[in-house]
Amino acid sequence: MSDDVRPTIARPMIARPTIAHPMIALQGITKTYPGQTRHAVAQLDFDVPDGNIVMLIGPSGCGKTTTLKMMNRLIEPTSGRILLDGEDVTGVDGDQLRRRIGYVIQQVGLFPHFTIADNIAVVPRILGWDRKRIDTRVDELLHLVGLEPRDFRDRHPRQLSGGQQQRVGVARGLAADPAVMLMDEPFGAIDPITRDRLQDEFLEIQRQIAKTICFVTHDLTEAVKLGDRIAVFGPGGVLQQYDTPEQILTHPANDFVAEFVGSGAAVRRLSLLELSRLELEQISVDGVDSPNGHPTYRADAAGRAVAWSHLPGVSEMPPLVTVPLSGTVYDAVDVMLDMRTPLVAVVDHEDRPQGALRWDALVRELPTKGRRP
Amino acid sequence: MTATVGESKVARPTGPGSTGSTRKADRSLVAVPIIVVVGLGLVALYLSTRTLDTIERRTINVENITARLGEHLYLTAVSTAIVIALAIPLGIVLSRPALRRVQPGVLALTGFLQALPPFGVIILLAFSPLGLGATTAIVALVVASFLPVVTNTAVGLAQVDPAMVEAARGMGMSSRQTLWRVELPLAVPVMVAGIRVALVLNVATATLATYIGAGGLGNIIDGALRLGRPTATLVAAALVAALALLIDWLAGVAEYLVRRRSG
Repeated sequence: MSDDVRPTIARPMIARPTIAHPMIALQGITKTYPGQTRHAVAQLDFDVPDGNIVMLIGPSGCGKTTTLKMMNRLIEPTSGRILLDGEDVTGVDGDQLRRRIGYVIQQVGLFPHFTIADNIAVVPRILGWDRKRIDTRVDELLHLVGLEPRDFRDRHPRQLSGGQQQRVGVARGLAADPAVMLMDEPFGAIDPITRDRLQDEFLEIQRQIAKTICFVTHDLTEAVKLGDRIAVFGPGGVLQQYDTPEQILTHPANDFVAEFVGSGAAVRRLSLLELSRLELEQISVDGVDSPNGHPTYRADAAGRAVAWSHLPGVSEMPPLVTVPLSGTVYDAVDVMLDMRTPLVAVVDHEDRPQGALRWDALVRELPTKGRRP
Repeated sequence: MTATVGESKVARPTGPGSTGSTRKADRSLVAVPIIVVVGLGLVALYLSTRTLDTIERRTINVENITARLGEHLYLTAVSTAIVIALAIPLGIVLSRPALRRVQPGVLALTGFLQALPPFGVIILLAFSPLGLGATTAIVALVVASFLPVVTNTAVGLAQVDPAMVEAARGMGMSSRQTLWRVELPLAVPVMVAGIRVALVLNVATATLATYIGAGGLGNIIDGALRLGRPTATLVAAALVAALALLIDWLAGVAEYLVRRRSG
């Protein structure tokens, strides 16, 4: 498997995840609201693996929020079992259960009559932590979400911007260090620029805390960006496909998923493919190697590329533009279109060129190095 | 996070206590004590130009006024306390999901009770087994001022942002914890406004208690009217007005403080 060379696989791919240790498991869950004959969620078997971000997505009324709220039993399932870390929690006290699970909602729901610190401390207080432990935890969490405790601890929610409030919302969800976080469109009501920044920060936080996260969204771009796995729900609360973002985009399980993913899937996929995983075209410094067929560039004293010196197959010499190795193919395409250049130099974090990516290569199969390390 | 100054303006509106109305409330909170002091001063000035006859002197003296004022405050305080003790729990119960369906019916009934003229209720109750006296007057006052407190409690709880309740329950607060720590604190400004209305109603209506022998400042007005002593009538009427304004002002201050605290 390690030398598996397939296009556009940026993450480990398992066709239909069989999970050794699911943190959350829904078994045969059905929800029918009183007075309705149609199921909101029908016969759902669903495992959320430990430490993963699972995105629930689908058109409105497809049961994704209902599914999320059944995980902490804010909505009681009509039938079926819920397992949390192997323990059957279908019948335990709902309030006790919810104290073990983080919860973040779109409207944030910070209490306006509480300070930021008191908002974050809600669950630790209920759990009876001592004052010192709570204070330490609040400061730790404010740091984690990028708010300086000294400035924010004693403020009230109305003094914060929407983005700051949602950061506090996330901190509050994490307060008692739950293994599982449920998030119901937490960035849905935030302007696109702030949302993008919050998503990046969220991924950064998740790298540090590695929680099991269930995340409802209606935004496919968000699902692809944040999800380790995506669950696509269809009408009547039927799970249509549950797989990695790559698989959802490249191999939709049925017409419903294909239509839901839409015509932009090919472009969206580019943002999943990191440049560091591509077999880039070899390039070298001008004059060092014999320029036998591959491009060469002129470098400055620090080894940074300043201009192309030889480009086989290109008549007019384009300006040398660089893209960081940590970027995605999407970023590279963006730069190429923006600068009107048929190729970009991919550079490492010290700006030293590692290779080149050509426009032509995009329409061929992009050669990758196999699995991500 | 990189919070720009401009971004922080997007904070949620602070509800009924938003800046505009708070500033208006500020101004009226300053104006009322001035009006009361000036008004009472003018009445005192007028009194000093008059020589009072014996009948007038018997009612317009510190001792009598203090006693009647005491009765008046007693009626007001006890009836308002009873209203708070009964109407707030009722309002809370009516706002619980299980009983929300009967809420309109109960509110219609209390509305009907309030529509009854207080004077009529006081007189009618005197013919009931309760008979004459302060107890009957207090029952009548409770009937008259019940509605605003029930309504405002129910409405105050209903207007709490459902997201607050969802967040509280989602974090594992029990329904009781959610009520005490989230819903009630957020409903308090509206509830206090209802209590303020009840207080003012009770101050005004307590003036009629004299007709069933329960005393109060109405006693001076009634007596002076019967004996044709306009000066005494004026003094007592001015006192009732000043008392109502002052109590409304105090309740207003309380409401303002509560509203500012819960932003």
